[in-house]
Amino acid sequence: MKKITRRAFSVLLLAVLVIVGLTTYVLRYIDHGAEWALYFNRLNSGSSGELLDRNGVVLAAFSANENRYAEDVLTRTANYHVTGDYWGRTGTGILSTYWNKMQGFSLLTGTTRSTAATTRLFIDAGLNNTAYAALNGRSGCVLVTNYQTGELVCMVSSPAVDPADPNAEPAPGAYINRALSAVFVPGSIFKLITAAAAIENLPKLEERRFYCEGKTEIAGVEINCSGEHYTQTFEQALANSCNVAFAKIATLVGQDTLIRYVREYGFLDTHTLGDIPTAAGSFPLDFVGDPELGWAGIGQSTDTINPYAMLRFVSAIGNGGILVEPTMVNTGKAPVKSRFMATDTAEKLKEMMAYNVSYAYEGDFRFTGMKLCAKTGTAELGGDLTSHAWFVGFLDDAEHPYAFVVLVENGGGGLTVASPIAARVLQHCLRME
Amino acid sequence: MSATELFLAYMLKASKYALILLSIAIIVRCIRSMLREQYEPETWAYIRTSDGRLPVNHWEVILGRSPSADVRVDKKGVSRVHAVLTRNDHGVWQIYDIFARSGVWVNGERVADRGIRVNNKDVINLGGVCVRFQEITPERREKLEEKRSIPGRGVSPAVTLLELTIFQLFLLMQHAIFAKPEQLPTIALGFLSLAIMQWSCYNAMRVIGRSGFEVETLAFYLSTLGMSVAASSTPDDMYKQILLTLAGVILFLIGGWWLRSLDRTEAMRLPIAAGALMLLAINAVFSDVILGARNWLIIGGYSFQPSELVKVGYVYVGAATLEHLFRERNLYSFIAFSAMCVLALALIGDFGTALVFFLCFLVISFMRSGSIATVILAISGAIIAGLLAVTARPYIGQRFSVWGHVWEDVYDKGYQQARAMSAAAAGGLFGKGGGAGWLKDIVAGNTDMVFAVICEEQGLIIALCMCLAVLTLAFFAIRSARTGRSSYYAIASCAAMSMLLTQVALNVFGSLDILPFTGVTFPFVSRGGSSLLSCWMMMAYIKGADNRREASFAVRPGERMRNAPPPEEVPEDEEEDE
Repeated sequence: MKKITRRAFSVLLLAVLVIVGLTTYVLRYIDHGAEWALYFNRLNSGSSGELLDRNGVVLAAFSANENRYAEDVLTRTANYHVTGDYWGRTGTGILSTYWNKMQGFSLLTGTTRSTAATTRLFIDAGLNNTAYAALNGRSGCVLVTNYQTGELVCMVSSPAVDPADPNAEPAPGAYINRALSAVFVPGSIFKLITAAAAIENLPKLEERRFYCEGKTEIAGVEINCSGEHYTQTFEQALANSCNVAFAKIATLVGQDTLIRYVREYGFLDTHTLGDIPTAAGSFPLDFVGDPELGWAGIGQSTDTINPYAMLRFVSAIGNGGILVEPTMVNTGKAPVKSRFMATDTAEKLKEMMAYNVSYAYEGDFRFTGMKLCAKTGTAELGGDLTSHAWFVGFLDDAEHPYAFVVLVENGGGGLTVASPIAARVLQHCLRME
Repeated sequence: MSATELFLAYMLKASKYALILLSIAIIVRCIRSMLREQYEPETWAYIRTSDGRLPVNHWEVILGRSPSADVRVDKKGVSRVHAVLTRNDHGVWQIYDIFARSGVWVNGERVADRGIRVNNKDVINLGGVCVRFQEITPERREKLEEKRSIPGRGVSPAVTLLELTIFQLFLLMQHAIFAKPEQLPTIALGFLSLAIMQWSCYNAMRVIGRSGFEVETLAFYLSTLGMSVAASSTPDDMYKQILLTLAGVILFLIGGWWLRSLDRTEAMRLPIAAGALMLLAINAVFSDVILGARNWLIIGGYSFQPSELVKVGYVYVGAATLEHLFRERNLYSFIAFSAMCVLALALIGDFGTALVFFLCFLVISFMRSGSIATVILAISGAIIAGLLAVTARPYIGQRFSVWGHVWEDVYDKGYQQARAMSAAAAGGLFGKGGGAGWLKDIVAGNTDMVFAVICEEQGLIIALCMCLAVLTLAFFAIRSARTGRSSYYAIASCAAMSMLLTQVALNVFGSLDILPFTGVTFPFVSRGGSSLLSCWMMMAYIKGADNRREASFAVRPGERMRNAPPPEEVPEDEEEDE
């Protein structure tokens, strides 16, 4: 028996193996626990906290026992792309991108925090509701920022999902935040960029006249216009949204210069809204020749633009060339400001956009009482596809310093489809404190 | 936060600390009782030599000159390992000559291959050295038995069990916070039934006068964690978990009772070996693939893993008495049996279980032969077989390729482990509370990654306690082996624990990316009926080897054992001998 029982110690080897392995794990846990723990914790972590809009409306609340969202369906759905969900089905929601910060981690308690975390947003949930209702089921997005403070007050992407309804069958693309994660053909709103390049590069621009008889030929390629504008000034050309004039201006500015402006204004870059990355747009970067450059200058060709990038652009114009980076989460930090374009250029563009509103939408009662500076865009997509409808701009109003971007994907004309949405949203903005 | 929410938050926090303290208390009490108390050997007979009286402490002893002999007769002419003396259930002693050069005689009769019966006062001639065999009188044995300490005096098993019951209450409270109201009654029933089972077992033990209850307590502790995992991952299936635990406990009791008789146990080895092989053969032919392994038989809608039952059989067949060991002298038939088992498992692609069998094989073959050469040979063979397996089944190679790199591919190959590690770390030391985790909903979360589920819901400390519980059982098996009556029990309990330890290592370290992920269950805690049954049956081996005085129901108390009547009264025995 002695012989046999002494050999029982071979089992000890296995026990030692288990002990060594457990020690290894504990040491690794001390080293890497935090990064591991925060990698996947989309679902309830045991911490508690709230996600509030600027007025204290609860967009999401989580505690040890449950994960909740806003109380009514419209608020949940309209704010879905702001809030996200506890599963991370949309990668851009606050519940995905700020979850780690809301949870925290300590080796002792894991992700279970002893005090509740409150995250306050600049977003106005009610404004989002208005914007979502105005989009009325159409695909698209609405962005509104305060260009003086950088507070992003509205971000809506449609279609959206009710995160509290587990049986929801979301429309295709409902998990994509169009405002941040997608790019679209810009159409005429691109003329603002071409105009900015022209202002700084074409001498005696004020004295120039642009003649349009409905179409023109550049190197044998026809470019057609929405109407016959005959002789026009530079300002009138923008107000007419004249393709003939702006195709010509693009060729006068030249491709390299235009690329420089597109790049400088950040249209080719990925930006971040807080921690959320945005999609980068595109512009023909290889030499294309004048006819194609003409098309590119009026926002067609291979141009694409991210709505958020456009918001930064119009926001900078509204603020006299200084960009206050939009922020969604109220962290109490001072906003980040930077020189975006020359003050003169911004003033000139503002003037032209104001003129555009008074000239082109004269008498539109929906904008009565607003000091609106804006530009429409109807981006042609070719084939049988309905155009994207854009309406971008800002209020030249120190009390209501809001810049906005409205896009209706395959919606139709910018003026007929996108501008009424902007009108409803801006009316709401005027009522806000 | 409302008043109710605040109250619940405080209750949750309090329960977390209470669970940890209770866990530590339960384990520490079991360790103190199992590993700190004295283990005195039993005395069954004496060998009188010219130098005095030597005690026979086991039912199987080696007589020889070697210091490793149980009864050391250090005289010229005696071989180092000279003879084996054994006792059976009925108190009949036999002596075997184990190839001693100089032979063995009893009362002048040469001992042949099949051994010879030894009676009280018989003279045994070991190669010219005469010793006298003396049976112990029942009175004397009773006296000696009274000197041995009874477990449970220092550490009361009832108090430990009470702590476990409170532990179950707190766990239930946590589930009450997180579970859906309609699922709460069955969850409560689960914990209640555990409490009823453990106290019934305890009372039954008291009634038959047994005081060792640590093994059961640890098994019930682990089963409680298993119940918690079931409650949070499959709350609609609680009845199944309850019934399976009950079946496990019943099989444990039957198994322990069966092991009381060594003759009966030995007699069934061959049929069980045949049964095990048949089960594996059926499995290899008819099984269904679930989660990568084809190790499932589905009968009448219920799936079960035959390999789990075969584990119990494997230990049963692998363990052997001393006399058997010396008669057979080689491991050929056991190696052949093991190879067939491992091969059958490898064929169906369950390499984790194959590895569990293999390590158990190493422990058994080392205990039986003491030959390190055999072990090295077996390991080299296994490495070659492993390499062949990797070339034949690329998906196993894939598991190896992701080993140590799970964070580089968290959406495909590292999917499960990365999530397990994340959830485990998120639990911290104190956990989030029973039912509050999310890992349980990941595929195989409640089986292959159950350590991480416990880490997430109960915290690292309880998860470590869970491993410590298995380690304690292993240390206990090693310690019990020394005073065991038969080498059969010593080998069986050590082999059983080697299987459970291997499972712990593969389960825990596989899910945490310390070892490749093999998908093996954690004893008692992982969800899975066949695994739960086999773990409870394994506990019977531990009880069978627990030779402390009046401790185990699986061991007949020494003082009540009578000596065999003189041979005249059992003529059939004599006929057999002639």
